[in-house]
Amino acid sequence: MNGCPMLRPAAALALVLAITPAEAKDTGLIYVSNEKSNNILVVDPKTYKIVNDIAVSRRPRDMHFNADHSKLYVACGDDDVIDVIDVATSKVVGKLVTGSSPETFAMDETRRRIYVSDEESSTVAIINMDRNIIEKEVPTGAEPEGVLVSADGKTVYVTSEVGDLVHAIDADSGYVTQDVVVGTRPRRFAATPDGKELWVSTEMAGEVSIIDRQKFVVTGKIDFLPPGMRKSDVTPVGLVMTKDGKTAYVTLGHAAHVAVVDVPTRAVQGYILVGKRSWGVTLSRDEKTLYVANGLGDDITIIDTASRKAVISIPVGRVPWGIVVDD
Amino acid sequence: MIRALVGSSTRWAAKLSPLFILACIAAAAAQDASAPSSPTSPQQHVKIAFVQIDGDPRYTPIRASDRIILKAPDHPFAGAQIGIDEAAPLVRLLNTDFTLDRIAVKSAADMASAVLQAADAGTHFFLIDATADAYRSLAAAVHGRDVLLFNVSEPDDALRRDLCAAEFVHVYPSRAQLMDGLVQYVVSRKWTNFLEFQGPSPDDAAMTTAFEHSVQKFGAHIVAQRKFKPGTDPRDREQNDPLLLSALNRDFDVVFVADGDFDFVRTVPYHLVRPRPVIGSIDLEPVAWHWTWDHNGAPQVNSRFEKRSGGRRMEGADWAAWVAVKMVVQSALHTRSADFSTQRAFILGDGSFDGDKGLAVSVRAWDHQVRQAVLLAAPYEVVASAPIEGFLHQTNELDTLGDDQPESTCHLNR
Repeated sequence: MNGCPMLRPAAALALVLAITPAEAKDTGLIYVSNEKSNNILVVDPKTYKIVNDIAVSRRPRDMHFNADHSKLYVACGDDDVIDVIDVATSKVVGKLVTGSSPETFAMDETRRRIYVSDEESSTVAIINMDRNIIEKEVPTGAEPEGVLVSADGKTVYVTSEVGDLVHAIDADSGYVTQDVVVGTRPRRFAATPDGKELWVSTEMAGEVSIIDRQKFVVTGKIDFLPPGMRKSDVTPVGLVMTKDGKTAYVTLGHAAHVAVVDVPTRAVQGYILVGKRSWGVTLSRDEKTLYVANGLGDDITIIDTASRKAVISIPVGRVPWGIVVDD
Repeated sequence: MIRALVGSSTRWAAKLSPLFILACIAAAAAQDASAPSSPTSPQQHVKIAFVQIDGDPRYTPIRASDRIILKAPDHPFAGAQIGIDEAAPLVRLLNTDFTLDRIAVKSAADMASAVLQAADAGTHFFLIDATADAYRSLAAAVHGRDVLLFNVSEPDDALRRDLCAAEFVHVYPSRAQLMDGLVQYVVSRKWTNFLEFQGPSPDDAAMTTAFEHSVQKFGAHIVAQRKFKPGTDPRDREQNDPLLLSALNRDFDVVFVADGDFDFVRTVPYHLVRPRPVIGSIDLEPVAWHWTWDHNGAPQVNSRFEKRSGGRRMEGADWAAWVAVKMVVQSALHTRSADFSTQRAFILGDGSFDGDKGLAVSVRAWDHQVRQAVLLAAPYEVVASAPIEGFLHQTNELDTLGDDQPESTCHLNR
């Protein structure tokens, strides 16, 4: 921790000059994008207080830090841009132009590229981060959503919500090379660390489909049903996996729970109560804490992963969508 | 390849005889009559026809007395088009193209022969945009044929109960579903005493019957029933003035109005003796879709529709046409087959489809009604989506709306 530079821009600037980027990390600050209040709220992980409110372009959704956490990129669906926030000063310092209604994206800093799904134009735009141009728009199935880049940067995976498809796109040529049919309304991805499997949440099917990346076929499905809930309320969207590839957390949308899955056996080990329309989910670096954005509760839930219990829920802006942690 | 007879407005279609259009389809069908059904085989074709009636009174603009247009409804063809648009990326994957043709017939009586001719020419899937009077002859004509006819615009309960034909899939909600959704919401607010105004048309009578059934089903009460008579004749003021019609000794929570003509009902809000909300044909209406619905991916669908339709806002029949095409496309995708009987089995059986209304839509085995959420729409907001929380069902909460299996008089699954 290095205090709270967010609140004092002048002091923050001095700090930024004085310290290396590595030292600027690990603030543990929680960033929440709010679709309807058009801002990013910053929550202190110790006091649970909101310590900053960053105005961004309209309808901010997916967010990603760059590798050294000096910048936060935010896709803003109603202004067709990705805002670039300078983390030290909490100011929007740039805007990358996207296609129509960007929702989620993935970054490949080696190639200086952003792959963003533009849900209204049904394309994935390949953006050159330095030149701020769209290099190519790859046609996808209707309403593309989740985007994931393979570790080697050669393959980009994208879901089509309406097409019930996952596309594999060759990053060099910018063409869809393979498709696989998954459950109804596929949303987001997680990749197992061994590079063998791709997990895809399928919202309307209420499942996670597991794709063998080598054969590019669905090899398994995981069903969810928290106690006392109806299957029709189970609408999985967000998912995150631990670095050892042992545990996955899946947010179940209207069922207001997070499922804990043992990855090797694919067995659901338990459910944790959160808020309504839980979508965005992220783990702290030490994986002791799980953060969930509850879109229809206007709050976030902080979970202790060891006890699998919610620690606190904190009110944020209107319709929180994404959640990331600066650590 | 995806193709559709776009630009074929009703007027355009009317200039050509149905036979001419059908001849075009027949020519196309002759080429692929022998198309095998393996996904790795050469290109397969799945043909969908949208059938409408020229001069369908439901699409006459509704005007104010000074000729200003209040509502300009249109055939839901653009809904079917966005379904075809969405199929475009699947063509390569499935090696199947989906085509949408538009057929306009002169009258309800001509519908059966037009459908039969297209069926003879290889079309298995039809979107039927017709009033209830077209259905009886249509059902008799297609009985036992390899066709599925999707009802995309007619709520008549009798089609689901008395007619009860296996070749139909009613994608558009029944009146029973719509009224159950409406009454569920109002009862959930504990507004359980209704004053009822019924208009003169048979549709108004059918809507009122469905409403009364829902009121009984969910334990509410009708305080008084009034039949109104549209007009301004002072001699009929007891029947045409909402103030006098609502002058009761007993209190009521809500006024329900059945007025398909949308003439009288416009004068009801703010013209009642008591300050009470109005539901039914105005203010709070049960609908299959609404342009302000913004959950479950709806904004994207509304946006695609408005682009396709030239700015018209998406309505219930458009939703039904979209979902009907989606059922055809998704059945091919999930069965990896363009074989009609395989697709039909999926649609009528295990298939569940994303209608962007939350709970997945599917076909009820007993009467082939599509189970779906009903939106309760105020002019600028979807107030709620039924089934309302707390109305429970042992298998699927969507079956709290409309005719559930035990009370249905149609038993297509037996």
